[in-house]
Amino acid sequence: MVELPNVRLNLANTAENVVVVRAVLSGLAESAGVDASDLADIKTAVSEACNNVVVHAYRGERGPLDVAIELGEGSMRVTVRDRGAGISDRALQDDPGRVALQDDPPGAIGLGLHVIRTLARRVEFDHPPGGGTRVSMELAAHGLHALHPGLAGGPDLDLTGMMPRFAAAVSVAPARLAQAVLPRLACALAARAHFSTDRLSDVQLLTDALAAHAVKAVCAHHVSLGVSVQPRDLELRIAPLRLGQAEGLVRASDLDGLGRVIETLADRHHILAGESHETLALCMLDRRAP
Amino acid sequence: MALGTTVDRTSSTSTQLHGAGENVSDLFARWQQLGDMTAREALLERFMPLARSLARRYDRSSEPFEDLFQVASLGLLKAIDRFDPQRGHSFPSFAVPTILGEVRRYFRDCGWSVHVPRGDQERALRVRDAQETLAGERGSAPTVNQLAQYLELDTEQVLDALQAIQAYGSLSLDAPRPGTDDEGVSYGETMGGEDERYELVELDATLVAALEHVPARERAMLHMRFVKDMTQTEIAAQVGLSQMQVSRLLRRSLDQLRALTCGNIDDG
Repeated sequence: MVELPNVRLNLANTAENVVVVRAVLSGLAESAGVDASDLADIKTAVSEACNNVVVHAYRGERGPLDVAIELGEGSMRVTVRDRGAGISDRALQDDPGRVALQDDPPGAIGLGLHVIRTLARRVEFDHPPGGGTRVSMELAAHGLHALHPGLAGGPDLDLTGMMPRFAAAVSVAPARLAQAVLPRLACALAARAHFSTDRLSDVQLLTDALAAHAVKAVCAHHVSLGVSVQPRDLELRIAPLRLGQAEGLVRASDLDGLGRVIETLADRHHILAGESHETLALCMLDRRAP
Repeated sequence: MALGTTVDRTSSTSTQLHGAGENVSDLFARWQQLGDMTAREALLERFMPLARSLARRYDRSSEPFEDLFQVASLGLLKAIDRFDPQRGHSFPSFAVPTILGEVRRYFRDCGWSVHVPRGDQERALRVRDAQETLAGERGSAPTVNQLAQYLELDTEQVLDALQAIQAYGSLSLDAPRPGTDDEGVSYGETMGGEDERYELVELDATLVAALEHVPARERAMLHMRFVKDMTQTEIAAQVGLSQMQVSRLLRRSLDQLRALTCGNIDDG
């Protein structure tokens, strides 16, 4: 059994997805009370690493952008990985910074690795098994406390065949960390779906409720969320829920006489039942958006 | 950590300051006379913290920190290429004005006034006001993109501002709202009073107890949103608040109810 990172993000390498990564970092840092200037450094360094994947990893083509975040005592370790052809081992060993500098027009992304090295306490570059390049940064985060994610295991959100329709997949461990991550992530994607601020706020209320109640409904240390984005249409899938718990999750936040929170906020929901776990799918539309 | 084990098996390069021990003037000689890129790299890395600290000076401005840092780094690169050690000045004394010049030029090109830093909080207030203006003009709440265009911000800044509006106590509900005159109808007054009673017959005891802690106006809003299925904009119009304020109050009361009825959630 392997220990999970606290947050795993699977995205496509688009510039707009860098905003999603940044939203997640902000959510984590702000909920932990991390120093604002540390957060600015963290976002800057991680954005540089992500932008490198957006611009260079696949030579203009699309490909995966994977980000893992581990919360340490006063520091955060963020690993950004692509699955592209990558730069040669030899070049990396000689000098990771120079590779980027020489390949790029001055002033483009070429300063990126220098920026990262200035901001991070430690940087490692390597080529993990399976291909691609991995940049791992240890970044100062005063005020952050280490959070044990628990062991990997249990079913995950089945995203097979869902990509590329699903814009983002995120796994959070332990599950209660979802409260820091999901609302920010979902709002960033709702903005992309052209939701009005009115409906965007509903997305926040819904993901607040989901994150708060998912803790008791999941059957693993982690909770996974997939988000698909179409114009004025957002679909959220949350897993792995214990059998029978998807409906429970929908009901859990009801204010009884005062109303059904999740059912009112979502336009529809359905449950995908598997043998060992369930996935709850929630659709939110913004019909009134201009 | 999981990563450490992988690193050992594959090629790994830890960060290190190349040329860390080398004298700055030697590095300049190697770069400027021999065109040695590694010397230029070493200088860049050596003085990057200077660029960072200069970018920090404008950190509370309208522009994101990393854009400023990027611009400052470019300024540093220019300074390294143009520096003439023969003139007898130290490199930092040459680099600082070059870097600051680059940052200021960037502000000018972006159309921002360098001397008017706009903090997060002020930006949040601008987003709040723009939201109300646009909603008033169009009759429905604007999208984040529309707000970003209107205010010449990027979408992330608008999203952060929307978050900030939820968080800042100083964006108080008692703050004057655009469109109201000086007498400013305070917002307690815009709410109906005792007549805003809703039937809460079927509530279980916990929830009844919990709802006791939610002020009447928030309870009314919860009812409008979750029983009558009104949009936040409709609720805002009815109670005389902004949609942002409705959003904030709904979120707060739901949080409050959750805390009161599921107190053990955080124990997980």
